[in-house]
Parts: sequence; C-alpha cells; structure tokens
Amino acid sequence: MGLMNMPVFSALTDKMRWHQARQGLLAENVANAETPGYSGRDLAQYDFATRSSAMSVATVTTTATQPMHFAVGGSESSAFGAQRMANFEITPEGNGVTLEDEMMKVTTNLMDYQAATSLYQKSIKILKTAMGRQS
Amino acid sequence: MDFNSSLKIAATGLHAQTARMRIIAENLANADSAGKAPGEEPYRRRIPTFQAAFDDAVGGKIVEVGKLAYDMSDFTSRYEPGHPAADATGYVQYPNVNSLVETMDMREAQRTYEANLNVVTVTRQMLGRTLDILRG
Repeated sequence: MGLMNMPVFSALTDKMRWHQARQGLLAENVANAETPGYSGRDLAQYDFATRSSAMSVATVTTTATQPMHFAVGGSESSAFGAQRMANFEITPEGNGVTLEDEMMKVTTNLMDYQAATSLYQKSIKILKTAMGRQS
Repeated sequence: MDFNSSLKIAATGLHAQTARMRIIAENLANADSAGKAPGEEPYRRRIPTFQAAFDDAVGGKIVEVGKLAYDMSDFTSRYEPGHPAADATGYVQYPNVNSLVETMDMREAQRTYEANLNVVTVTRQMLGRTLDILRG
C-alpha cells in the first residue's frame, strides 16, 4: 500500500496540484497585464468535498471462501490518475488584470501551498512515529 | 502546467517589459532630435505593442512583443529662427515625445516588471517547499 492509497496524502497531493496549476494561470495573468484585450483567468475554488469522489480510498477486501459469503469491500478504485489542468475548472476573471489583485492571489496561493506541504510533512511524521522511529 | 512553465511565463513578462524599457529609453534620448535641415522630419515617437500568444512548449499564454508602431500624432513646433532646421517662418519641428508620458510609461513598466519578479520569487518558494517534503 503506497502513500497515495491514503486519503490524506491523495487529497493533499491533489490540492498541491491545484495550487501548481493556479500559479501557472496567475503567471499568465501577470505576464499579460499590459496586453490589450487580454482577460485574466483563474481556477475555480478548490473544494475537497467535490474532489474527494475522484480520489481513491484505502479499502480492505474480504475473500469469499464459501458460497454463502458476501464479498465485502473494495472495488479497486485507482481513479486518482494523472491529473491535468483541464481537470480543474477555469473561470474567466472579467476584463483586464489588476496587478494588485494578482499579487494578493499569488501570495495567498503561496501561503495555502505552504500549509498543504506542512500538513503533508506532518502526516509523514505521524506515520514515522507510528513505526516507532522518532524523528 | 508545472512550476517551470510558471517561471517561463513570468520570464516572458520580464522580457516584454525590458523591451518596453528599451523603447522608452530610445524615445527619451531622442526627445530633442530635430532635423538638420528645414523640411527634414524629426524623430518620431515609437510605441511597443504586446500580444498574448499560446506557447505549446509552455502550455500557456505567454506575452510577446509585437511590431513597433509609430506614434502618428503631430510634431511639436517651437519658434527658433536661428536653428538650422528652421523653416521660412522661423519654426522648428521637434519630435512628438512628451517626457511626462514617457516617465509614466517607465513607472508602469517598472511596476509590471516587479510584479513578474514577484511571481518568480513566489514560484521558487513553492518549489522549495516541495523539496522540503523530501527532508521530512
């Protein structure tokens, strides 16, 4: 069972991927801030509830050794494959690009990304603690 | 779109503003470049144009410096009868460069350049955080 089979890690990875895609769009907006007729774009807000359906969850499957047994548990849901930017909804921002707003968004993006990576590190530390290796 | 393409897009923004600064410097340097003889055209102000273009390698919209356009507004004329380029009435045609406009343009280019630099810095910090996961 890899890290990606744990919901915490797959959710955090998905969120980090969202921030990465958003950073690309914000870079586009800032680079084209002086381009006439260019309208800025942004990603739709990240929502764990709607994204979680696409994520795999750790499952335990029982083996049916007798005909009377029910098969309980998991369909092998490896839906969490390679995610592209197209998987995130892109929303237009209206006309023009305001540099101040874009700077705010870039900073917010950075802070949220740092929160996600910190959570990721903490989760790994919890696993290490569970394995009895204090680090 | 990964962090590297974010960096590349921001780099095209920096490049565009550098090109713009070059044009502004040209305009300001030639603000007094009148002709040598009567009837000779003075320096004509130039304007950089920008356009958004999709780049396949980057996978996003980069900014490109388009054709340099000429400012077709009227030249200014000053009364300087002693000037070699003065016409019969004593007026000399000077370039249509307004130093106030150029200074404002320069400030704007500076701000946009800083914004692009900020995107580069933030993207590098995010990359650094990703590498920090390795350290545990």
